[in-house]
Amino acid sequence: MAERANLKSSFSSEINKRSDELERIARDILDHPESGYKEFRTAKLVADWFMDSGFDVQAGIAKTGVIATLNTGRPGPHIAIMGELDSLIVPGHPHADSVTNAAHACGHHAQIGSMLTVASGLVETSVKDGLAGRISFMATPAEEYIELEYRESLLANGEIEFFGGKQEFIKLGLFDDVDIAMLTHTGGETAGTIGVGGSNNGMIGKTVQYIGKAAHAGGSPHLGVNALNAAHLGLAAIHAQRETFRDSDTVRVHPIITNGGSVVNSVPADVRIETYVRASNVPAILNTSEKVDRAFRAGALATGAEVRITTNPGYLPAKYDDRLSEIYRHNAASLIGDDNVIQLNHSSGCTDMGDVSQIVPTIQPTANATSGNGHGIDYIVDNYDLAVIKSGKAMGMTVIDLLADNGEKGRKVSGSFNAPMAISEYLARMRGFRSDVTYSK
Amino acid sequence: MTITEASETRALAFHTIDAATHDLISAAKSAYATPETGFNEYKTAAFVQEQLQALGFVVETGIARTGMKAVLRGSQPGPTIAVLAELDALRVPSHPGADPETGAAHACGHHAQIGSLLGVATALSTPKIKNSLHGNVAFIITPAEEFIEIQNRLALKNAGELEFLSGKQEMIRLGTFYDIDMAMMVHTSAGNGSASLSVGGSTNAHVSHQVRYIGKSAHAGGAPDQGINALQAAMLANSAINAQRETFRESDVVRVHGIISNGGSSVNAIPSEVLYEGRVRAKSVEVIAPIAERIVRCYRAGALAMGASVEVQSVAGYHALRQDPIIQNIFVANAELIFGRDSIDIVPDSQTNGGSTDMGDLSMIMPVIHPYINSASGVGHGNDYIVTDYDRAVVAPAKIMTATIIEMLANGAQKATETLDKSNPPMTADEYVSVQRGRFTTEVYNPS
Repeated sequence: MAERANLKSSFSSEINKRSDELERIARDILDHPESGYKEFRTAKLVADWFMDSGFDVQAGIAKTGVIATLNTGRPGPHIAIMGELDSLIVPGHPHADSVTNAAHACGHHAQIGSMLTVASGLVETSVKDGLAGRISFMATPAEEYIELEYRESLLANGEIEFFGGKQEFIKLGLFDDVDIAMLTHTGGETAGTIGVGGSNNGMIGKTVQYIGKAAHAGGSPHLGVNALNAAHLGLAAIHAQRETFRDSDTVRVHPIITNGGSVVNSVPADVRIETYVRASNVPAILNTSEKVDRAFRAGALATGAEVRITTNPGYLPAKYDDRLSEIYRHNAASLIGDDNVIQLNHSSGCTDMGDVSQIVPTIQPTANATSGNGHGIDYIVDNYDLAVIKSGKAMGMTVIDLLADNGEKGRKVSGSFNAPMAISEYLARMRGFRSDVTYSK
Repeated sequence: MTITEASETRALAFHTIDAATHDLISAAKSAYATPETGFNEYKTAAFVQEQLQALGFVVETGIARTGMKAVLRGSQPGPTIAVLAELDALRVPSHPGADPETGAAHACGHHAQIGSLLGVATALSTPKIKNSLHGNVAFIITPAEEFIEIQNRLALKNAGELEFLSGKQEMIRLGTFYDIDMAMMVHTSAGNGSASLSVGGSTNAHVSHQVRYIGKSAHAGGAPDQGINALQAAMLANSAINAQRETFRESDVVRVHGIISNGGSSVNAIPSEVLYEGRVRAKSVEVIAPIAERIVRCYRAGALAMGASVEVQSVAGYHALRQDPIIQNIFVANAELIFGRDSIDIVPDSQTNGGSTDMGDLSMIMPVIHPYINSASGVGHGNDYIVTDYDRAVVAPAKIMTATIIEMLANGAQKATETLDKSNPPMTADEYVSVQRGRFTTEVYNPS
């Protein structure tokens, strides 16, 4: 025990020396937001930092992903500490890119900061030498499941297969020998607290194209087939399904129209919709997906339009590991006090950490360091000490607990984990979600 | 018959009708006081039967349940002209003349037709006038012009009491019109502007849809996920129908309108059976066909969206009205004697009224006219539709129809014969019956 306490103490003091630099990096990323699979600048910044700090670095994984490895040289568990590279697109956010509208309205920039914090403490020889095993620092692309048409084009080009960066990492075999994974997300619960545990919805994504027939909207509307009316009816039909959604399934269906017609005096002939179908469990996702498809088809049937429904695998529901959470909770409490470590509830949002959680014991604690609404224009990280420094320390101290004593605790966490699916099963299931069907008269 | 003789005969007819004014208006008001919906007009029919028998007619009764026919034979053989009156009321419970029990009300003024038919019968029964006729006049009292209470009528159809769902349709099928060459009637209206009378124009054809959604019931609070909501299916279909409206051409005079006749049984159960009654109207049966197909597509879409099934029963409705120009001209000439030329609105054939009448069906097989007499206030079929001018609603049409018949059947029925020679009805009665039978269809769509 005394050994671990010493390791944690050296770890912390090393970080304290670099805390300004670490916070500055997070703010730099905030000011240069890039959306998923386009995070080239952010990735370079991360890769350069790791190289300068003496890590082995692999870059360009799944377009923009970076992995830096710290090997203790002694056999032991392999832990992934993760941070997400990508931003959202939120026009009007105070830190939005003036050209792309990309904005860190989900706090991922702080994740990179906390990941680097863990790395700056563990790389210190006096700490590293007390540990067994390996730590991979994974900067992952594209956690936000957005810009589906862009990602479909990457899919068509063979650049990616999955829309989430961690999914691509799994597919590329980068989790094959990982035993434990963790990432700290920012959150907006009671300020100054850290949330542990909880779970997340899973989801699939759909792109829908209604194909009608253009005609002069004033002169000869009877010759047209109105794809916008088809879409409108499809959406109304989705809403009519809502009473069948069970509370316990926390179903969310929330479409947007990405193309609603080209000119107002022509009957719209090409209308596009994107939607997610989210739920707390896979059977509920599949059941709801069937209802949503049925509703979209009804819009086409009613108007005589065609509808093409492309379904892409999204994220799996997340379930965070209890043993790992307990170890983390203890460390977080040592930094911010017992009362400030809170239990998370189920979240109806989704993350590709859910996919990771189906394969290895995973936690995704939240650092409640923000104000405003997640994904909104007012979502701001206002406590960098918590979001970057303390979050990094809590994760790093958890790593120390797991890898000290020859990695005994890490082996226990890994060994007692009952994986819902093997990686091969995971990939088969994700590929099984994919479909592309056109319904015509 | 010379021109002088003809005008003397007409003067005698007008005098006879004037003398009977009180009785004719009383008869119309008596029908107003006993409103009965289609195929249920037993009291009204019995009353009219009595009146005709009092004039010496032999009355054939019980045709299509409540319909009747009485024939007056002229001095010489010749064509037979029918004068029609409709027996039935609507159902408008808040109408001041509504039957408190059934809600039936004469909100379409059919009761006035009874009065004017009796006026024609009274005048033509006068021996001198009757002797002037080279041909016959049939008084045909028809049930059920309003195309309502379809489920009840379908039950009568299933019981073998009816095959078609309106009075004139059914009477055509039963052969009531086999010995009739042409027909006329005058309908009341609340009119537009100052015209006293409106002649010409067409009315819409229609088809009725009886749409039954079958879902699955479940506790609406406890287990809505176990149910399939038939009401949502019907409502989505209704929205889908509304989305078709931009494709309707004005020139087709499309009207699509429906009611939910059963929208669920109890609010705490997911509705598992919903009945939607739809109506598609347009300027002809041919124009309706592709539109009705779209509407049926909408019914299916509601079912598809919810995972329900739907049965769509199409019920043959009315045909568009074709009015005969020769009869119309004679009618107008005689109307001018009463109202003057400026008070008669002549509607072009190309103009179609959004409403429908089974006089349209009769017009498929023989020349007819169906003028409107402006004698009411309020909105047709509304609770404020009241016949306000009975002289105009009852007496004037009786005079004009009588004078028209006298003129058509005078001089060897020259005008009536010319009418028949020049008329070119689209189908025979047998063809009509076969067309109507083909318009009854049922489809079941079960997407799951």
